[in-house]
Amino acid sequence: MTDSVRATPDDSTLVRIRGLTTVLNGKTIFDALDMDIPRGKVTAIMGPSGTGKTTLLKHITGQMRADAGEIRVNGENVADLSREQLYKLREGIGYLFQNSALLTDFDVFENVAFPLRQHTRLPEVLIRNLVLLKLQAVGLRGAARLMPNELSGGMARRVALARAIVFDPMLILYDEPFVGLDPVALNQVLKLIRTLNQTLGITSVLVAHELEAIKQVADHIFLIANGKVVAQGDPKTIANDGSPWTRQFFGGEADGPVPFQYPAGDYAQALGFAGAVK
Amino acid sequence: MNARAPQHNNVVIQSLAQIGNCGLFLLTLLVAIPRSFRYVRETVRQLWFVGAMSLTIIMVCGLFIGMVLMLQLYNVLSIFGSTSASGMVVALAVYRELGPVVTALLFAGRAGTSITAEIGLMRATDQIDAMEMMAVDPIAYVATPRFLAGLIAMPLLCCVFCAMAIFGGHLVGVTWLGIDNGTFWSNMTAVVVVHTDIVNGVLFKSLVFGAVVSLIAVFQGFTTPPTSEGVAYATTRTVVASSIAILALDFVLTAFLM
Amino acid sequence: MSQQRSSYAVGTGLFIVLGFAALAYLATQTSSVANVHQGASYSVDAHFTNIGQLKERAPVKIAGVRVGQVQSITLTPGQEVADVKLAIDKRYDAIPQDSVATIFTSGLLGDQYVGIEYGSSKQMVAAGGTLSRTKSSQPLEEMLGKFFGAGGVTDNIGGTYVVKADFTNVGTLSAGAPVKMAGVVIGSVQSVRADPVKLNAQVVLAIDKRYDTIPDDSSAAVFTSGLIGSQYVAIQPGGSPDALKDGDEMILTQSAMQLEDLIGKFLVNGSSSDKKDAGDGKSDTPAGKH
Repeated sequence: MTDSVRATPDDSTLVRIRGLTTVLNGKTIFDALDMDIPRGKVTAIMGPSGTGKTTLLKHITGQMRADAGEIRVNGENVADLSREQLYKLREGIGYLFQNSALLTDFDVFENVAFPLRQHTRLPEVLIRNLVLLKLQAVGLRGAARLMPNELSGGMARRVALARAIVFDPMLILYDEPFVGLDPVALNQVLKLIRTLNQTLGITSVLVAHELEAIKQVADHIFLIANGKVVAQGDPKTIANDGSPWTRQFFGGEADGPVPFQYPAGDYAQALGFAGAVK
Repeated sequence: MNARAPQHNNVVIQSLAQIGNCGLFLLTLLVAIPRSFRYVRETVRQLWFVGAMSLTIIMVCGLFIGMVLMLQLYNVLSIFGSTSASGMVVALAVYRELGPVVTALLFAGRAGTSITAEIGLMRATDQIDAMEMMAVDPIAYVATPRFLAGLIAMPLLCCVFCAMAIFGGHLVGVTWLGIDNGTFWSNMTAVVVVHTDIVNGVLFKSLVFGAVVSLIAVFQGFTTPPTSEGVAYATTRTVVASSIAILALDFVLTAFLM
Repeated sequence: MSQQRSSYAVGTGLFIVLGFAALAYLATQTSSVANVHQGASYSVDAHFTNIGQLKERAPVKIAGVRVGQVQSITLTPGQEVADVKLAIDKRYDAIPQDSVATIFTSGLLGDQYVGIEYGSSKQMVAAGGTLSRTKSSQPLEEMLGKFFGAGGVTDNIGGTYVVKADFTNVGTLSAGAPVKMAGVVIGSVQSVRADPVKLNAQVVLAIDKRYDTIPDDSSAAVFTSGLIGSQYVAIQPGGSPDALKDGDEMILTQSAMQLEDLIGKFLVNGSSSDKKDAGDGKSDTPAGKH
């Protein structure tokens, strides 16, 4: 089913976001954000913590509704979809959760088989082959009968990846795929992201902070801050675009447009010196 | 599903809001029943966890309730020389009140808490979100099967409990204290009526209690903040809220059915 | 995994079967639709004019030892005797044909059972046969009457004279109940019947000839001995110089107080809330029979 959705090669933009505005608990998360995620590329979304990068992914999958603006995934306006259409759309989207989110009731094999069992009536042999194929792709065919609590963080994330690609999606969203991984596991995941993109042509969106890793894998980087895209470009050019945001972010400075201090009242006054100074 | 959205300081208003949310959640569950038909396997699996796995505690407790009830009744009734009535009193007490109520309380402690904790942890580890993302409706896949399993399991557990209590009463009364076997049964059968005692008492009450306990358990699991403290707190809440609901409803149902 | 799945299914199936088995057990074995099932036994009929509180599955005893149980109690339309079918253990198959089946009560409030006293016949009763000699249930009132009364009917050898008294309500007073004066038994109730004209109860008291100086303006009252005791007639002497004679009627009477009225007077909300105990209030106190 994903083939039919994918068959619009003339449009090079898979996800088109226009004027996205979201207010959560009185705080503006996105302020008329525009973003075009190119088809068949690896796109990285970076930004200071708390800028709503995960929220952005949830908007793309329709788990959260925006207050204004529109999001088109493969030409379909997410906000207009009914529950069934939305679920149909999600079958074409893989989502890798930060903490893998494997179903603790099932072993590795059943976790990967889960979407197949829920949405298809394939014969058991075919399910078995498909699952083993995906597990082989992430290098964990031998761990098929382990339970999720027996896996290390890196292994769990690779299993989650196998589960995310079991339907051969057109788009995979990676939420912080490198957090908490040792260098070996990090490189394994990195390799998988690149392989999946190159061999299967899957559009990948990753939200991450690991600059080095992103530079290796991403084709395009968006830098989000204060609810807007403040910089974008490929890894080589973006660091040199001269804006204070990129300088602080790629230069690793502690203070800058992202303030070191959380907004607060006058410091001297808070310490009780206000009267003495004046 | 955000339980923290309306923050009221007033305990009464807060409880009312909880009850209201719970009622709305029940509607969501019921609406999802047709959608959960494709997850029958999951319902069967939950029936195993909440029903079959609770069997041991239900059987042991039922046995002891029947035994101690018989012991007490024998001692009191022997004052009036009517120990032969003790079997029938055990049966009536167990069928009408103790069976459904004690089974429901045990069920809340055994199965309700595990449902709440499991769903809370599934939320804390993003498993619920993952299901959403895999286009599997968590209400239809997680909530409704557990609710239905509780609904089916409770009457069955209650029947087992009552049978064990009768057996325990028989063991103490007839085998140890020497009440005549025939008198024991004849008094019981003369008084116990299928419609009022077994259908209304055992089955109907336990069906209602099963629905209430599993609704509260699932609701608490789904609405608690997905953190360790949140899950611990929700588990406690399940037991407290279920116990109050069971005892209050028991009074209402008894008044209603009599 | 499919094995794992099927083991859940099997376990759950077992659980459901066990639950329904328990339900079937409750519904059939402990309730009134219970069908009688037992070991090897044979059945014998016995006819009683009054079975009292005898129930199905009540024990059948010989010399106090349980040998079987009551299988069924039926009343054939048009007949005044209850047909009680006794299921007796196969081991006790040598019961003489002329044995007597009696309905006994274990204790004052206890349950009733059928006792069999052996006769002397060489002929043993066969399966499906009938014990023709039976003694029916003795109403508690009669037994008490015999106990406390002046020998009840047997004392009518000529030592009594008869006095009538009208009551608006005699409660559970029955023939044989004692007649007392100053707490001492002086006679017994000979008969109690409703008067079709005056619409009250006419009680005939048989008083011992020795007590022939009771003033004719004495009053008669129906009292109850204790809370659940039987009722008797108490005579309170008046001040008239003339004594009661045979066939006289006592004018001053005080009717039986109903237990409910008494309790109702004690409790504030009276006796209006007495509708709930039909199912469980099974103890048959004499006062609960109106």
